[in-house]
Amino acid sequence: MQNPIRLLESLRQRKLSRREFLKLFLYGLAGLILGSELLRPEAAKAAGFNGRKKRGIKGDHDIVLAEGDDPYTMTRRAIEAMGGMSRFVKKDDTVLVKPNIAWDRAPEYAANTNPAVVAALVELCYEAGAKRVNVFDISCNSAQRTYVTSGIQKAAQEKGAKVYFADDWNVINAHFNYESPMEGWPIIRDAIDCDVFINVPVLKHHGLTSLTLSMKNLMGVCSSSRGQIHSGIGTKLVDLTDFIQPDLTVIDAYRVLLKNGPTGGNLNDVVKMGKLIAATDPTLADAYAAKMAGKDPLSICYIAEAAKRGFGSTNIDGADILKISV
Amino acid sequence: MKKLVLARRISQGLFLLLFIYILWSSTYPLKGLLPPETFFRINPLIVFVASVSLRVVLPGLILCVLMLILTLIFGRFFCGWICPLGSTIDIAGALRRKSPNLTDKLNAKLGKGKFVIMVIIFIFAYFGIQIAWIFDPMVIMARFVSLNLIPSVTLSLDKAFSAVIRGFKLYGPLYDFYRALKTSVLGVRVAYFSHSLVIFLFFALIISASGLLKRFWCRLICPLGAIYALAARFSLLKRIISPCVNCKRCKSLCRMGAIHDDLSYAKGECVLCMDCIYDCPAHATVFAFAKKAMVEPGAKNEGAKDGISRKNFLVWLVISVISFLGFRNRLEGPAAPRANIIRPPGVENEDEFLDRCIRCGNCMKVCITNGLQPLLLQQGLSGIWTPHLIPEIGYCEYNCTLCGNVCPTQAIPRLSLEQKRQARLGLARIDHALCLPWSKSKDCIVCEEHCPISDKAIKLKEENIQGRIIKKPFVDPALCIGCGICQNKCPVRPERAIKVERT
Repeated sequence: MQNPIRLLESLRQRKLSRREFLKLFLYGLAGLILGSELLRPEAAKAAGFNGRKKRGIKGDHDIVLAEGDDPYTMTRRAIEAMGGMSRFVKKDDTVLVKPNIAWDRAPEYAANTNPAVVAALVELCYEAGAKRVNVFDISCNSAQRTYVTSGIQKAAQEKGAKVYFADDWNVINAHFNYESPMEGWPIIRDAIDCDVFINVPVLKHHGLTSLTLSMKNLMGVCSSSRGQIHSGIGTKLVDLTDFIQPDLTVIDAYRVLLKNGPTGGNLNDVVKMGKLIAATDPTLADAYAAKMAGKDPLSICYIAEAAKRGFGSTNIDGADILKISV
Repeated sequence: MKKLVLARRISQGLFLLLFIYILWSSTYPLKGLLPPETFFRINPLIVFVASVSLRVVLPGLILCVLMLILTLIFGRFFCGWICPLGSTIDIAGALRRKSPNLTDKLNAKLGKGKFVIMVIIFIFAYFGIQIAWIFDPMVIMARFVSLNLIPSVTLSLDKAFSAVIRGFKLYGPLYDFYRALKTSVLGVRVAYFSHSLVIFLFFALIISASGLLKRFWCRLICPLGAIYALAARFSLLKRIISPCVNCKRCKSLCRMGAIHDDLSYAKGECVLCMDCIYDCPAHATVFAFAKKAMVEPGAKNEGAKDGISRKNFLVWLVISVISFLGFRNRLEGPAAPRANIIRPPGVENEDEFLDRCIRCGNCMKVCITNGLQPLLLQQGLSGIWTPHLIPEIGYCEYNCTLCGNVCPTQAIPRLSLEQKRQARLGLARIDHALCLPWSKSKDCIVCEEHCPISDKAIKLKEENIQGRIIKKPFVDPALCIGCGICQNKCPVRPERAIKVERT
């Protein structure tokens, strides 16, 4: 075992054998890794809120409801009615389109977001001048399978999106400027380091919250043991939504899973509703979608919690709603 | 130029790479050029022994017969030119420059061990117990590649990339490159295998024995080599030497110890490494199909020296008895499956599974959730390195049939997707003392959420507790298939509140 100092000495004297050179190389590499581990920026814990800033861009309407037979065209027309994608996406922006790709189920089973909706949004973002559109979700079933079976990987990639699997080491630990049960939770970095966040959930049944909507869909950017979010889920989801501040929410209700959600698996539990909601206020979007699914919005714990805190609006009657048929 | 040696080395290298490639590509969606069981299909030891012990004809029988016919023509070309374990042993053996010059008698004696092992394996097979897996070189190599080599390479690459990307904040093109690498060749997640160190030590022991004697394993132990050696005795391709200076360089350098003192050779031991052609200073050695050797000194009947002596017989008798004792529990009656050992989907009879399974590790390599793990001694000696599901690590993916598709002996049956979805691995059981809604009246139902059965094998019972509706999960035994996703996702730590038990 030669010590590194002696190796350096022989390097200076240009008498380094291949073996010694390799050793020196390995020492250098080890030092580099050790150094970068020690100097890791996480050590300097940033105090205070480190989520996305609220951009507060409004659409032409509070809610646009598109109805029709073709989810792709419905999406395009709905965004057009909101004032066009260029209102949200500026030139050279990095956009995250966050669909639900949680389950190893084909699109007909309505357990994941409709791939045509995702494809249309990716396309619109690029048309508005986006530099890059990212698509990912931390799935519940094996990621490799869900990305393929859901049809989203193929559909989004065809439109030029970067579809990838999130790495659990590439996270930001959430900090709030108020007391939150989500304090310190690891959130995938790309969900925060993006110029525009477009949340694309699918409307469907859920055993605990009765419906899964846009706020629940944000669990897909949370790393770590997400099951723990379920206890006290109302507060946690509203805090999470506050942390992420989605700029645009598009709820896919083209096919809707009404029973045995969120996984489904039986086509008899799926109805073709043929609808799509676009909104900028996630609370309003969720409230409207809940009503559409025949539920009292305030019976859903996270909508009730948002209403209690004045996070967004649940006033559907006072909202400016545009209905279009495609 | 040592053309033939070069050709042999290229062949060894290519087959070794092919072997690793096949296992590397043995992952979802299974799009490799060759099926993962390829090398086992051309393995007479596995196919013959499994066929004998199970009294069935396994696929690959024709290929194995073909391999034996080729051996009858060329000799042990498989050992010298193809076998990936042999190639690895050769690489290790290259570190040792000289072979000890052993006497003919000792060489002959050393060579006998593998035949005895082979005979014991076939005797066991006759009694319906397959133990070929212990000594089969393909199995040993595959297990090392799948459970040691690939995970450690992917792990080091993963750690190196993430350290560099994080350390220098290179979230740009380098990160994209790394993500592309992960989705294409590296695999999305780094696989982990429990006590893979034991598997590595077993492999390392075999490889490092070549420090003692070149090709130690192939000469002394390998039962597949023994089968090929039996056929190679009659091979048409022969080593022929013309009159030479009798320097015996070929004898002292032969890695297999196949050359006798009088320069004749044991055909069954020769792996056609071609070294002796170039080692010969007189250029007197050739391999040819010539019917009559120009000079074949001392072409005595080898069989005369090959008889098993009384002492040897007693030694091997003792070894056989000990190995029988090691598998005693197999002879006492049906193996009792332990409640916590969950076998892969479709495995119904534990005895048949143990006999079919060759412990190659294909199923564990391919398992998309990494849930299939090697057993150590939890199921006795006979269960070592067989796969079992550890739901805490990974559950059985509802729509996945990969493990049955890569099993070379169909120990895990090849199920259709419909059959697989109904294949019962066990039954989930909720521990009310740990479950959050049951014990602490907290919201949870993560198990119900993840249950893949379309009518939910985990159902919810609503209870009004101090004005709050709490949903408590319970298992419907008629629907539960024991896939273990509930156990995998259960947020309770350290022990999960829902566990799959074998039924």
